[in-house]
Amino acid sequence: MQKANFFYPLFRPGLIFTEIAKGNAFSSPALAFMLPVLLILPPLFLWLGTGMFGWRLGSASPLYMENTVRLIISLSYFGALCIGFFGTVYIAQWMGSTYGVKKSSRAYFSLLTVVFFPITVASIAHIYPNGFFNVLILLPTLIWCMSLLYRGLPVALEIPPERGMLMSTSLVGWLLVGAVSILGISVGLWTVGIGPSIAV
Amino acid sequence: MSQSNQEIYHDAVVKRLIQFSVFWVIIAMGAGVYLAAEFIWPTIDFGQFWLSFGRLRPVHTNGIIFGFGVSALMATAFYSVQRTSHVPLFMPKLAWFCCYAWQLLVILGAISLLAGWTSSKEYAELEWPFDIAIAIIWVCFGVVFFGTIATRRIRPIYISNWFYGGLIIVIAMLHIVNNLAIPVTFGKSYSLYAGAQDAIVQWWYGHNAVGFLLTGGFLGMLYYFLPKHSEQPIWSYRLSVISFWAFTYSYIWAGPHHLHYNSIPEWVQSLGMVMSLILLAPSWATMINGIMTVSKAWQKLRVDPALKFIVLSLAFYGLATFEGPMMAIRSVNVVSHFTDWTIGHVHSGALGWNAMITYGTFYFLVPKLVGQPLHSIRLANIHFWLALSGTILYILSMWAGGVSQGLMWLSVDDYGQLSFSFREIMASMTSYYGLRLIAGLIFFIGTILMAWNLGMTMRGRNTVPVTPPPVPEKFRLDRKAGKDETTIAPGVPAA
Amino acid sequence: MNALKLHRILEQNTGLLIFGILFISSIGGLVQILPSLNDETLSTPTMNTRVYDAVELTGRDIYIREGCHVCHSQQIRPLVAEVERYGPYSRSGEFVYDRPFLWGSKRTGPDLHRIGGKYSDQWHETHLLNPRAVVPESIMPAYPWLSERPASAAGDIQRKMQVLQSMGHPYSPEDINNAEAALQGLTEMEALIRYLQMLGTSFDASQADAPMEGM
Repeated sequence: MQKANFFYPLFRPGLIFTEIAKGNAFSSPALAFMLPVLLILPPLFLWLGTGMFGWRLGSASPLYMENTVRLIISLSYFGALCIGFFGTVYIAQWMGSTYGVKKSSRAYFSLLTVVFFPITVASIAHIYPNGFFNVLILLPTLIWCMSLLYRGLPVALEIPPERGMLMSTSLVGWLLVGAVSILGISVGLWTVGIGPSIAV
Repeated sequence: MSQSNQEIYHDAVVKRLIQFSVFWVIIAMGAGVYLAAEFIWPTIDFGQFWLSFGRLRPVHTNGIIFGFGVSALMATAFYSVQRTSHVPLFMPKLAWFCCYAWQLLVILGAISLLAGWTSSKEYAELEWPFDIAIAIIWVCFGVVFFGTIATRRIRPIYISNWFYGGLIIVIAMLHIVNNLAIPVTFGKSYSLYAGAQDAIVQWWYGHNAVGFLLTGGFLGMLYYFLPKHSEQPIWSYRLSVISFWAFTYSYIWAGPHHLHYNSIPEWVQSLGMVMSLILLAPSWATMINGIMTVSKAWQKLRVDPALKFIVLSLAFYGLATFEGPMMAIRSVNVVSHFTDWTIGHVHSGALGWNAMITYGTFYFLVPKLVGQPLHSIRLANIHFWLALSGTILYILSMWAGGVSQGLMWLSVDDYGQLSFSFREIMASMTSYYGLRLIAGLIFFIGTILMAWNLGMTMRGRNTVPVTPPPVPEKFRLDRKAGKDETTIAPGVPAA
Repeated sequence: MNALKLHRILEQNTGLLIFGILFISSIGGLVQILPSLNDETLSTPTMNTRVYDAVELTGRDIYIREGCHVCHSQQIRPLVAEVERYGPYSRSGEFVYDRPFLWGSKRTGPDLHRIGGKYSDQWHETHLLNPRAVVPESIMPAYPWLSERPASAAGDIQRKMQVLQSMGHPYSPEDINNAEAALQGLTEMEALIRYLQMLGTSFDASQADAPMEGM
């Protein structure tokens, strides 16, 4: 699809899912360009934000971190996103056999790229790293992503909507577990002294 | 065959219990929404003692657990034990007694909590007269349940009944041990245990009330209604056997993870943590068993919102049973303890797992009971989306709020001074509490839709009489003949 | 499989199944609870820990009645930040006369284990009547009824102390006989404040049994 420009997934998701199913949307080179950009956006925004405005938790005074700490946090954020994304693609492919999907991995990559597109763009909220501000922006976006997943998965992977519903729910389960793992791992890291300074 | 002609299953009591359960979920969830609003506008108790947070909160938790949860569990246990035993309820009058006595107990209990009668122990707040009443009704519940199993006409005891059985037995044990106290007056008693020992006993109870009631009991519901509804045998019978015993054995150890870094011996904390991690295995085994069962029955989803709820409940069950062991790790717990993350975790279980599987079961069961299709499938589908988005919003807002709260409590500056005052941190939580209120409202609206939907389905209709179908020859249990070994095909709930 | 065959016997026999569940589920409790109940260190008071007097006990029961423990913990964990914020960490010996324990599971408001002596009685009274008068950002409910009720109405104090005495709390006969007189003329508010003011004061840092462990 020649019109698959960068922001297409944001505005015409319905159309793009059928194109993914036909194998038209996102050639491998297009994916190869798009994926790294999308994955690097959130950590980049975070890096910029923590530098410009400092880390703001609640109403308290901002927390400025050293450059190396900022870099480490942004890089590990990038790492977590990569693991999260590729892990999700892998898990989705693994689940696919249970739900009768017969598509190549390109379809999975394209589908999940479209699904996660809004949240990566919305991560521009990181530029002002205030906890609640980010929650306020990212939470509705996340629910949008979820509806994209439920709507798009059966279309893009060409399975009946009922099986698509089952598979999407399984994926949501996996994503929730993944999210809470990231939460747990970061808290564990703070406790052993990596990250914000806490006294335990 | 001839013996079954006169018999019909006692389903009227099931229907009545479902009505009570729905009534309680509205009351208790409404109280929850009101409490969530008190976090933002603390003066909306209007100086009334019975609207005060400290008194209303136990009404919310007890109303959900004992009003909604236990009524739903009794309803589904009575329904499924008859069908898996091919025999009507043992002592049906006693079942009716359980039904009404329990409701009376919850109503009077709620009033007593508002009046300030409380033992203060979480999920065991009711004072000693109620504790005795609970014990009596619980024994009656057990008599009806195990009596029905003992008079069954089919040889194997189906897996769902083990979980319901575990619920009845273990909750009885926990309830009696934890509530031992010496009464002073009707509304006041002093615990038999003191201080640290009281804490250990209470969280052995508190954790396992969650374990055997909110997890185990509802797994019984899952193991009957999922295969029944999807018309598929349980994916792996062996997995369900192993996970049941592993679950029963290991859950009971995990209580002390509620007391990490508290004034109790360190070996108790460590043991609690290790066993909590082990607990993940049987919990997830059950989840996989459920997901694989339903994945073969996907065609059913087309016409059926009920199965959607059950499928979604499994996803949240997976989340909650993963999150729990993770939060039991000491280095995670050190941040999460005492914060709103705990509240988020509880609700990922209570909303995502307990409420959803119960809603799914009710959407399936009520039309079946009254022999009438669901009043509005469209409304049930809308409810599904409200429930899903409400739960997600609730969990995520409490994750974000709880983690930042825990972090700020412990945060220090370069000189080792505390970075934030408690007041600052508390004030920063208001916005998360606002999101939580919205999330709760969304979920609550969905629940009201369901109540209306089920009410319209049931309205003015009696339960359809169902006779126990004959038991296939090779599973038949002839009480007079000896116990000869027969091959059985396990994993299929009987008709 | 043999084990599965064995299990088949279990799952065909109601009594065996009940017994099996009871047996399997009680092991964990027996191993954890019984040793804890016999652990002397958990039931030995620290040097300055004493029983609650009649007024404090009444105050404590009001604290329970109003559900203060729902939002306030009474348990300072041995963490640097926590000790700095609230004071010396909690010792198990300080709680031996706490029936029930009030450690709590949620800190919507701050920990109260060492609240005693930190604020004046007057501050507490103002705060309980209208929390936002002294802490503008507070979300605590107000408790106007406490100042209207006499402390003696919050339960039969002599009977309470007799019950506690029967469980080993060292009350003397005079303590119990004078209990009602001690409550004379006090409101519930005053009793509650007396309890709050003694919270955590039974621990004297100079007599700490052991230095803080490396937690």
